[in-house]
Amino acid sequence: MTKNFKTLPVYILLSVLSLPLVIMYAYLVIDTFTVTTPGSLVPGPFTLHNWRFLWEPAKPGQASIWAATLNTFLFAGGTMLIVLMTSATAGYALSRLRMPMRSFMLAGLIMLHAFPTVTLIISVFLILQIIGLYDTLIGVILVRAALDLPLGVWIMKGFYDNVPWEIEMAGVQDGASRFTVWWRLILPQIQPGLAALGIFSFLQAWSEFILPQVLAPGANAQVLSVYMQAVVKSETQMDFTLFKTIGLFYTLPVVVIYLIFNKKLMNIYGGGTKG
Amino acid sequence: MRRSHLLGLGFMTPAILLTLALFIIPVVLTGVFSFTNMSTSTGITGGAYEINPRSIRLMKDAGLREGLIGDLEENLYKIDAAGLAQVEKDFGKKLAEEMKGAYDGQTFKDRRELVRAIKDLKSRPRSSRDLNKAADLFQKSILNVRYDDESAFLNGLGNLGITLQDGEQAELTRFAYTGWVWTTENFSNMAAMPSTYRAAFNTVLYIAFTLTFNIVFGVFLAVATFYLPSAAASTFRTIWFLPRILPHVLYVILWKWFTWDTGFLSQVLEPFGVAPRNWMMDTEINAWVSIVLINGFVGASLGMILFSSAIKAIPSSMLYASEVDGASRLQQVRYIILPQLRWPIMFTSIYQTLSLLTSFDYIYLATDGGPGSSTTVWALYAFKTALNNYGGNLQYGFGAALALVLVGIGILASVLYLRLFDFKSMNAAPRIEQ
Amino acid sequence: MTILSAKLRQSTAAAVLALTATAVSGAALAKDLTITVWSGGTNETESYRIENIAIAADLLEREYALRGEELNIKVEGKYDFAGWAEFKQAVTLAAEAGTAPNIVVSSHLDLAPWSQAGLIVPIEDYVDLDAWPLNDIYENLIDITSYNGQVVGLPQDAESRPFFFWRETYKKIGYTDEQLDELPAKIQSGEYTLKNVFEDAKKAVDMEIVEKGYGFYPRPSNGPDYAQFYQSFGGTLMDKDSGKLVLDKKAMTEFYQFFVDCVNAGLTRKNHLGTDWNQWYNEVATGKAATWHGGTWHYARYTGKEGLSDFFGNIQFSLIPAGNAEGHANTITQPLAYMITKQNDEEAVEVAAQLVKIASEPRLNSYHAIKSSHLGISRQQSNVEFYANDRWAAEATERLLPFANAQPNHLKYGQFSELMYKGLETAWTGTKSAEDAVAEVEVEMKAALGDDLIVR
Repeated sequence: MTKNFKTLPVYILLSVLSLPLVIMYAYLVIDTFTVTTPGSLVPGPFTLHNWRFLWEPAKPGQASIWAATLNTFLFAGGTMLIVLMTSATAGYALSRLRMPMRSFMLAGLIMLHAFPTVTLIISVFLILQIIGLYDTLIGVILVRAALDLPLGVWIMKGFYDNVPWEIEMAGVQDGASRFTVWWRLILPQIQPGLAALGIFSFLQAWSEFILPQVLAPGANAQVLSVYMQAVVKSETQMDFTLFKTIGLFYTLPVVVIYLIFNKKLMNIYGGGTKG
Repeated sequence: MRRSHLLGLGFMTPAILLTLALFIIPVVLTGVFSFTNMSTSTGITGGAYEINPRSIRLMKDAGLREGLIGDLEENLYKIDAAGLAQVEKDFGKKLAEEMKGAYDGQTFKDRRELVRAIKDLKSRPRSSRDLNKAADLFQKSILNVRYDDESAFLNGLGNLGITLQDGEQAELTRFAYTGWVWTTENFSNMAAMPSTYRAAFNTVLYIAFTLTFNIVFGVFLAVATFYLPSAAASTFRTIWFLPRILPHVLYVILWKWFTWDTGFLSQVLEPFGVAPRNWMMDTEINAWVSIVLINGFVGASLGMILFSSAIKAIPSSMLYASEVDGASRLQQVRYIILPQLRWPIMFTSIYQTLSLLTSFDYIYLATDGGPGSSTTVWALYAFKTALNNYGGNLQYGFGAALALVLVGIGILASVLYLRLFDFKSMNAAPRIEQ
Repeated sequence: MTILSAKLRQSTAAAVLALTATAVSGAALAKDLTITVWSGGTNETESYRIENIAIAADLLEREYALRGEELNIKVEGKYDFAGWAEFKQAVTLAAEAGTAPNIVVSSHLDLAPWSQAGLIVPIEDYVDLDAWPLNDIYENLIDITSYNGQVVGLPQDAESRPFFFWRETYKKIGYTDEQLDELPAKIQSGEYTLKNVFEDAKKAVDMEIVEKGYGFYPRPSNGPDYAQFYQSFGGTLMDKDSGKLVLDKKAMTEFYQFFVDCVNAGLTRKNHLGTDWNQWYNEVATGKAATWHGGTWHYARYTGKEGLSDFFGNIQFSLIPAGNAEGHANTITQPLAYMITKQNDEEAVEVAAQLVKIASEPRLNSYHAIKSSHLGISRQQSNVEFYANDRWAAEATERLLPFANAQPNHLKYGQFSELMYKGLETAWTGTKSAEDAVAEVEVEMKAALGDDLIVR
């Protein structure tokens, strides 16, 4: 298609505009493995010195990077599970089930997107404190999951809407309950949606910074974003190479996930607008 | 209620609970907080009752009876029978008797003096904590005594033997209370403070610029990659999608490295005679450009993806036909592709307006609202007021009032949103009755 | 065989006896406590704020053991907060949630709001101020950590915020070494003022000895330092009699105007605020700036990481010069304080207080002072050789500390200082004139501080 047009100008234009990002990515990787000299952009000899934070013991008063990594996995994984479970059920209910106030709930869902949870954080803090989840990973997981919920439900509803009614009707006619129909017949149909939403919420939680910083500041629940920001803000070591190395370590899992699953993730942007 | 209703509600329950706990109740609470003077020093959950030099000063300013203030101000320790009885109970007979023998009837001007006196005794308590506690039993004032509730405070006040005139008890309780009180001052202050208007102006600026960048650039990326072979297109899309994947902290660090005065731009430009400078923070304009680009590079990818799929949906026959008719590329974009993007653009604009209104992560990490407060948007201003400032006396009440304004705007905007996107059509009734 | 079985029986009996003994004594005496310490604004060089508590724990355990009690203290420290703001936020929220760390190291300015809120408890309830080592701490420092007439916290360190001159630059504009040596005295007496600083810095810039924007190179972010300039121009922070904060409009305007003048004359960069600290340290330690102001602890950074081998040969330091006739040369000290938080476990509070007390021993405090280039808190530190032999600690203590005052412990001082800085920024960056900036500050201060403010 559209072979009639030259592609060279498009290439050039896109490449020039993408240059800043490409440079950032390139030096992100190069700097972490080489000796960097201030004022020079030419990479020096290979070294693993920048990665020493991985095997050197943490200083007293500082969290360990491995504990932070484990926490980040728990945080992102936990968020993903909760978002999936709540969105898969609520999306189905809104798409297919009769219940009172259904259209009110749908409208409310859109409204929720406008509620700035991050600026409501004092009240959120108070609620976590009352239920005893302040400064715990579970607390931040719930808040992060709640943030993703409106979009998640909306997307799941979109996927359910596209499942033909015939499947469900056939199931019901065979005598299965609505629950069984949902579990056995419908869920497999929306697998792409679940995968997309799962990846999406995992990635979101992985990068999240402000929520864990405010709601779980203690050493036991520290995640990588908070760990990294503490190193960045620490006055005596403004050292871009160190930051980049920690950052690369931090970001590697999600970039890998993205590169493997990127086709699946893109489904989310299809599903979201169809509904 | 019918069974199918129960099933539906059952399916909704987890989502409803989560929403209730972390969206609805917080909004209600924020509404409540915004009418209080809640801050670090008042505490969130309530205060105590304490007469201290500060509250005494405030009482003087308010013109309370001088004799009363004088009585309250006086901090005396007197060895009397009641105190000795209590000492006997808490610390044993020996100490009580020794104290009675040595100091009965004497007064001491502060606790430290009394503690020194007790230390001379043989049967003195051995820990500093106990010494102080023993001395406290003889305190004849309630200065700096912290009472957890009102009745304990009134009790303490009563034990002093001060005669109170009408209404004075209520006045005293009011001045002694350390917790928060109801007020509408947050809103009048908000209206009076120039920084509020600056934050509002910054927010408008921020949304306008970032949104324009997102849409224009998103359209550009979608159209440009559309004309490329699929391998090249997906490479470029990956490059532009990655900022969305990268952790915010790292993404901002990359920008800082790029723009810092020891960073990439400065180093590259130096041979051309451009003095190194901090391209992110140098002037207000630099900061604004950085903020818009940092957010825009992330925001544009959403547009890119949505618009790309909308363009893909255009029947290729239409495009071929236009090419046969001799349309230039620009014409093709203008007359065939762009009209197809009307709804996705609308959707993206509204969605991102709301997101931009309430998010401040990147600004917080990149410029922290500076230089000056030139890039402090409303959400960041609220966050800083309520939770994050160098001074450390966090203004929860005022911060909540600021947040409440955002909630109001958000609700208005989403009502508009629902109107624009024909809500009824999304809301088709279920076809199975059971 | 019988011998063997007898032995077996014996040793079993012994073992059982030992077991019951430990079980009984364990139940009666052994106690495990975890004491958490959170320290704000702390870097690796200031790690002794936490390490000293750990050392103190070891000493306290021994004291308990000698009394026949078994106490095991586990000290958990944390200082990797992103900044002051994040640290204070974490402490406040944790305390509201009832999970506050036992010991907090923070600015003395936090004593007022935190004790009003009941987050911290007065340490004087738990320690004997008449006993060693607390009776050796300078009284004025104890005053700084007192609020409402009670000693709430204990000073953790002392510092002050001097004015610095790069000797080489000053020599190039015509000063001799002798004149430079006399400079601190002249500043103290009010002979050499900020007006002279302006003239000399201008000379340095005009003669191209330093680059434009490097004649006067202030601290790039908010801090108590700017209150010093307000005082230099005759401003007072708090009215002693009424206990209210004071906005002296004339002093504030002249203070802002000084910085505006420096910007207009090319001595200071218009976009200076927000300069990266690392760049800033590097520039002042390599003589790029003619004059600047900083803190006594900068010494560690200049001579350490920035590699300035001869500090005294290159840099002269003094009080902040007076700005006008109403003002006087001054410097602000902002000691950090050890504070004890409110806990349900009264024993943990007492142990925490004991630990803070022991950590205030001259020797332990000297470790912190020397490693981080802070000043000592008690008299006997001059008899701790390790401390006394340090030239910087000795000279800075003598030249600065006697003239140092502290910012007031007032509930609303935090807001006052934020607004003062915001106004300075507005004037500095040229968004508004000094007068208009002060007018704006007045409006905002009146709204935020209400009755706690006097405008002059």
